Amino acid sequence: MLLYLDYQRDGQPSEDDREEVEAALRGIEHAYERSGDGLLLTVSYSPAYFGRFDESLPEGVDLPDPEALAPFEDPEFDTPDAVVHLASNTAQVVLGAEEALKGNKSTLNGVDQPDATLTDVVTIADRRTGFIGDGLPAEKADEAEGVPADKVPEDAPLFMGFKSGFKKNQASEDRVTIQSGPFAGGTTQHISKLDLNLNQWYNQDDRWQREAKMFCPYHAENDVIEGAGDNLGTSSKIDDCEPTDETAREMGVVGHSQKSARARDDDDSPLILRRDFDSTDDGTASLHFLALQRRITDFVDTREVMNGTDVTEQSAVGQRNNNGILQYIRTERRGNFLVPPRSLRALPPAQPAADAQEVTYESS
Amino acid sequence: MAGGGSFVGLAGCTDLFETQSAQAPPLPENRPDAVYYPTHYEGMEMPGMKEQSGYKCALTYSYAHRFWLMKPNGISKVEIQPEDSIHLMPVVWDTQTGIIPPDVNPQLTITQDGESVDQFAPWPMLSQPMGFHFGDNAQLRGDGTYTVEVSIGGPSTRRTGSLTENQGNASFTFEFEFSESTLNEISYTDIPDDKEGTKGAVGLMDMEMLPNSQVPTPDALPGDVRGSGTSGDAKFVVTLLDDASRFGGGEGQKYLAVSPRTPYNRTMLPMMSLSATLQRDGTSVFDEILQATIDPDLRYHYGTTVADVQSGDELTITVDSPPQTARHEGYETAFADMPDVQVTL
Ligand code: HEM
Ligand SMILES: [Cu+2]
Repeated sequence: MLLYLDYQRDGQPSEDDREEVEAALRGIEHAYERSGDGLLLTVSYSPAYFGRFDESLPEGVDLPDPEALAPFEDPEFDTPDAVVHLASNTAQVVLGAEEALKGNKSTLNGVDQPDATLTDVVTIADRRTGFIGDGLPAEKADEAEGVPADKVPEDAPLFMGFKSGFKKNQASEDRVTIQSGPFAGGTTQHISKLDLNLNQWYNQDDRWQREAKMFCPYHAENDVIEGAGDNLGTSSKIDDCEPTDETAREMGVVGHSQKSARARDDDDSPLILRRDFDSTDDGTASLHFLALQRRITDFVDTREVMNGTDVTEQSAVGQRNNNGILQYIRTERRGNFLVPPRSLRALPPAQPAADAQEVTYESS
Repeated sequence: MAGGGSFVGLAGCTDLFETQSAQAPPLPENRPDAVYYPTHYEGMEMPGMKEQSGYKCALTYSYAHRFWLMKPNGISKVEIQPEDSIHLMPVVWDTQTGIIPPDVNPQLTITQDGESVDQFAPWPMLSQPMGFHFGDNAQLRGDGTYTVEVSIGGPSTRRTGSLTENQGNASFTFEFEFSESTLNEISYTDIPDDKEGTKGAVGLMDMEMLPNSQVPTPDALPGDVRGSGTSGDAKFVVTLLDDASRFGGGEGQKYLAVSPRTPYNRTMLPMMSLSATLQRDGTSVFDEILQATIDPDLRYHYGTTVADVQSGDELTITVDSPPQTARHEGYETAFADMPDVQVTL
């Protein structure tokens, strides 16, 4: 779940409000272990939030305002101050934590909650929910308009029918962590909301096309993928695909994974750590694409490579037609955020004096 | 009340079923690997036209259609779904030149009373009466007023001349009054059994206020037309322009343009991968890809700059990928298997 928050006070946050936020967060953390079985929680802040300060962010923190990232998209931009991301293997845990943050629970999972509540100092501007997991999209298909009945595979973890986030095709946590400066240990976060067109994907395309467009034509040609792709193991076997530009010229179609894998660093590591999940918010089948990366530029570069504009200029592949999964996704919203290290997670200043912050929170 | 409701529901279903079998009669037997007369053709309706940021957009529709999507080794058929109401086609063109840019993929959002009804990016398609267009079957909720928003973004194919100025985003909103009875007034013309499936094509629809997606006749092409050839039933016309400067060429370079088109209707054939070699006295002078380009005079074509072309040079055009546009009936067996085209310049 994503809670978009507006800080109620104008200008810079007060020390009292910081303590209130930190206390509220600790309250829900004490109620659960810090894991998928318990509760996972991050807080992140937007460029709009840091605009409250006279100082700019330290050099080395790359957090621009969000912008359109494809010639054919026209998204709305998310400008609330902060986002709290709550995740758990158990939906009830997330819902309970949300209520506790709003001050609606005196105990959570049997643990007493502090008087401090998040909503004393912030207003909830938006609430986005979602899910990921084998079988969940098929189960939730009828909650959303336009999801073809009985077409989303029973075992698929995501609406588009394939497993995503293979270990070897993700950046490591280390790769996405800010290395130096007062925000060292933090990361940047990009969150977009993508609407899905599953009618074309399931009723008009066939299995061959879905495999070719999601992975690459080589995978489709050679029946590399069974079902949702669990047989692939820990990698999408993208090295077996031909180079993207060759496939584009000779087959007239390129795969999303094939294209996106061109965004790698010198060590062949992907630049972004994807934590996306599906949603039926507003009755629409969609995806909250949440990605962590050291710098927002890493995301922008990855998305540019995914657009494949270079490929379309030189081949039969269209701006969206046969161009990975671009035909089926429409970017509705984009936002950029900084996830500070834990010690700075409560209403951080733009230029923290690192040790002073640490002390404040340890004593609170 | 309940009984009345289900009666109406039932009537609707029967109606839909009949419409669909008329829209998708059995395909002709022994379709040639060439452009052929389809089983029938249909007119269209135009609820509105708008202008913004150097583009015009007309919203048009017809009956729901079956069509085919391209794959590297063949085609895959898209059947009409029971929920499909109409074939919706937003036609967008550059106001100044009247060119319909195939690289600008519109996004459609259909709402009713602020509630989302359907949203999709229509496919680039080829049809005999409509020519090149973007379209797909849309799922409406019966008679009523809909709001259709057509939004377009920047181009992704090289452009030249006045077309380079048109880079922007635009969005066109239409109030669309839909009724089953207006739909059923759209003309439907059956093609006689002895004619359907034979080589030939239905002519382009006479669309008064709309531009067409044709490319110039060989006579009307700029430059010196040096020859032509055919492949997969498409015709390729080769022309040589003395001045390559607007195509990024240097001083003294020439521009070799290949203009493919459908037979009969001269509809453009976009979204191919083409490359070419030029042989002079048995040695290769160049071996390059031909880059898709939209030029106000040549219109949609594929080209490359060359140092020089001499009479007698052997040009070989290779189709690395045939047009990846979806196909309506009569075009799905053509422009698929496309051998090299040889032209002596
Ligand atoms: C509906 C939306 C999307 C779906 C269903 C989807 C699905 C997938 C799948 C199945 C893979 C291959 C398996 C894997 O490596 O995890 C993949 C890879 C990847 N995707 Fe997506 N994706 C979506 C959107 C995006 C977006 C918006 C981006 C951001 C630019 C993105 C970036 C990547 C990257 C970087 C890879 C791995 C490439 C590599 O191996 O280096 N994806 N995606
Ligand atoms: Cu069409």
